[in-house]
Amino acid sequence: MVRARGLTVLIAATVVAFACGSTSSGSSSKGDIWIASDLPVSGSDASSGLPAQNGANYAVTSIGTVQGYTLHIKNYDDAVNGKHDATKGAQNITDIISNKDIVGVVGPFNSGVAAAEIPVANRASLALISPSNTNECLTQPLSYCQSVNKYDPASLRPLCANTIPCPPGKNNYFRIAAADTFQGPAMADFAYDTLSIKVVAVWDDQEPFGLGVANNFAKEFQKKGGTVVDRKGFDTSGTAAPDFHSWLASAKKDGATAIYAGATSATFGCIPRAEEKGIFDPNSTFYLGPDGIGDAQCLKDSGDQANDHMYASQGAADATQNPDAAATIAKYKAACTQDTCYGAYTYATYDCAAILIDAIGRAIQANSGNKPTREQVITALAQTSNFKGLTGLISLNNLGDPTSPVLQIQQNKGGTWTFLKQFGISG
Amino acid sequence: MLERIRSATGGRILGLAPLDLIGLLVLAAAIIFVIPRVADRGAGYLAQVIVFGIALGAIYALVALGYTMVYGIVELINFAHGDVFTLGAFISLPLLGAFGLVEDKSHGIGLLLGLIPVFLITMALCALVNVAIERVAYRPLRNAPRLAPLITAIGMSSILEGAMFLWRGPFNIHYPDLLPANQIPIGGGVTISAKSVIIVGVAIILVLALSLFINRSTLGKAMRATAQDRDAAQLMGININATIATTFFIGAALAGAGGIIYGLYFGTLTAFLGFTVGLYAFTAAVFGGIGNIPGAALGGLLIGMFSQFSDAYVDTAWTQVLIFALLILVLVFRPSGLLGMRVPEK
Repeated sequence: MVRARGLTVLIAATVVAFACGSTSSGSSSKGDIWIASDLPVSGSDASSGLPAQNGANYAVTSIGTVQGYTLHIKNYDDAVNGKHDATKGAQNITDIISNKDIVGVVGPFNSGVAAAEIPVANRASLALISPSNTNECLTQPLSYCQSVNKYDPASLRPLCANTIPCPPGKNNYFRIAAADTFQGPAMADFAYDTLSIKVVAVWDDQEPFGLGVANNFAKEFQKKGGTVVDRKGFDTSGTAAPDFHSWLASAKKDGATAIYAGATSATFGCIPRAEEKGIFDPNSTFYLGPDGIGDAQCLKDSGDQANDHMYASQGAADATQNPDAAATIAKYKAACTQDTCYGAYTYATYDCAAILIDAIGRAIQANSGNKPTREQVITALAQTSNFKGLTGLISLNNLGDPTSPVLQIQQNKGGTWTFLKQFGISG
Repeated sequence: MLERIRSATGGRILGLAPLDLIGLLVLAAAIIFVIPRVADRGAGYLAQVIVFGIALGAIYALVALGYTMVYGIVELINFAHGDVFTLGAFISLPLLGAFGLVEDKSHGIGLLLGLIPVFLITMALCALVNVAIERVAYRPLRNAPRLAPLITAIGMSSILEGAMFLWRGPFNIHYPDLLPANQIPIGGGVTISAKSVIIVGVAIILVLALSLFINRSTLGKAMRATAQDRDAAQLMGININATIATTFFIGAALAGAGGIIYGLYFGTLTAFLGFTVGLYAFTAAVFGGIGNIPGAALGGLLIGMFSQFSDAYVDTAWTQVLIFALLILVLVFRPSGLLGMRVPEK
């Protein structure tokens, strides 16, 4: 793990060095501006974290400079023993805060990590912009947040003094992914309307993300008129996968024709698909889940039960559906050719870095060409409006959420998660 | 408090010691809590849950036997044992390929002819690794303070986990699902999967073979003698080192077989699997009475069954809490486990 982390830092450093060489030659740089990334890039989370980090690094190297300052990125890893870790994330933020050169952070990747990082970063007015955090309670003051998640936007933001939305210049946390209030219901609508599923069994991994998305799925599915059976939570914190057999048998008995997994591949999200063998017929039983299972690991874990009856939602738009992004994506594909270059959130993370850099640029202008303070960066970030990202036009509202998040549904076709449909939510 | 109950009732109520009585009351309350839920879900589901419980319990039992045998003979908790179990699953993965066993393509006699050598080779390799661990990390410390071999055991566990992590990486590893998924009707419209029957069958054969070996063979007699009194056994001409090595050999062979069975049944491995499974198996060994071989098999079965009942009728999220609450209860009331006997500390 330590070695893996060292390696990624090394790669990042080389990329950065290369970027400096190519962009600052000839022109006189006014100085250096640093941003950081905080993502899980080792262990089992690396399958989604590394591609995201590569996207952020590419944004920094390809944009190169902002208002005459040379851009740099420092990569942090919030995984411990191969899994994302909230404590490690908070430590990384503390480390970033003490490094006065860093003015903003791309990340984190996981909602649970975000909940630990936001209060630390908020006290220092350090900007966080996440490509993939989807837990609604990170930004939205909903009635059940304290009882279900044990936190709400106000408790995460000490600077805002219980006023949500925060007073201008106090909110430091932004994201561009659609919250679970959308991702769960989107799959519920799709399951009920398009797949004509009437009875579904729902489980979650007892983590903030999995629990939230599963609850929101179940709520909407029932509202549509469907039946949710065997709503259970499994302890996935151990090193062995939970035993799903008796739960699956119970779901079968209760007439379920689909399973919804409020989980990620790192929390054994697709193991029930493999354990279904002999209980459910995979060719007539659907397996549904959030973006956390929309990766290659899920399909490997499903073994010979992996088929086209598996669907996952993604809380970000598909950049390859955006004609304006084609040129940048082509350049990225030429620059980054390994497996670890492409993941569900690569282009969204690129967008986060680009939005952060754009905000830094506006903050420099507002500060009459001088290096901006961290407060000036979060103020500029909050004013992001109609930013042309790879994943579409992005505006941020006063809670830190995207104003019109886009979701997509993907289907497993022959071993790859394939774009099926996407739809914007105006909010 | 307990003393007061004891004196007030003359020590016994209805012929039972007060502690046992409290235990029975707790058990009765639990049963009364579960019975309506069991009735509600029907007999068919109950039969399925029992089969799942036996299958899971059989895996725990195979691993628990190794803990208990080693403890019985050298009074050491071999923490590396759970990782030898994982090693069995890991070693068998390339072997399955070598014997031409492919998911969805191997059936019937070809599957059987392929699985037998895979089992034998894996068991032998795991056994050799465990004997090597004993030789390197435990034998030199046999007369050292108790804490020393405990720490080397934890060390060996970490080394094995680290090696497997480096070998296969951090991701979940899919284990080919080879056993037939056919459903066997057991009457009343209830079916059980052929897979669980095969798994339970293999486990029973292995446990029977072990008990025959321990009770009938000369080496088994030597093992029992060494467990009872090492010095006296040595005076009788028993080669202590060879006997202890044999114990580690057999325990690891069973764990290796358990690893394959786990893979076939659950279909997913991780490098750190042995920690969780080892913890449950060790719990099962203590539950049944550490050092007692039938106790370990019984403990494994009960823990497997208990966890499936908790999953099915209480709540999946509560299972771990309930298992260890049960363990604490049993140990408070029967400190030496279900079948264990109070033995003076040597």
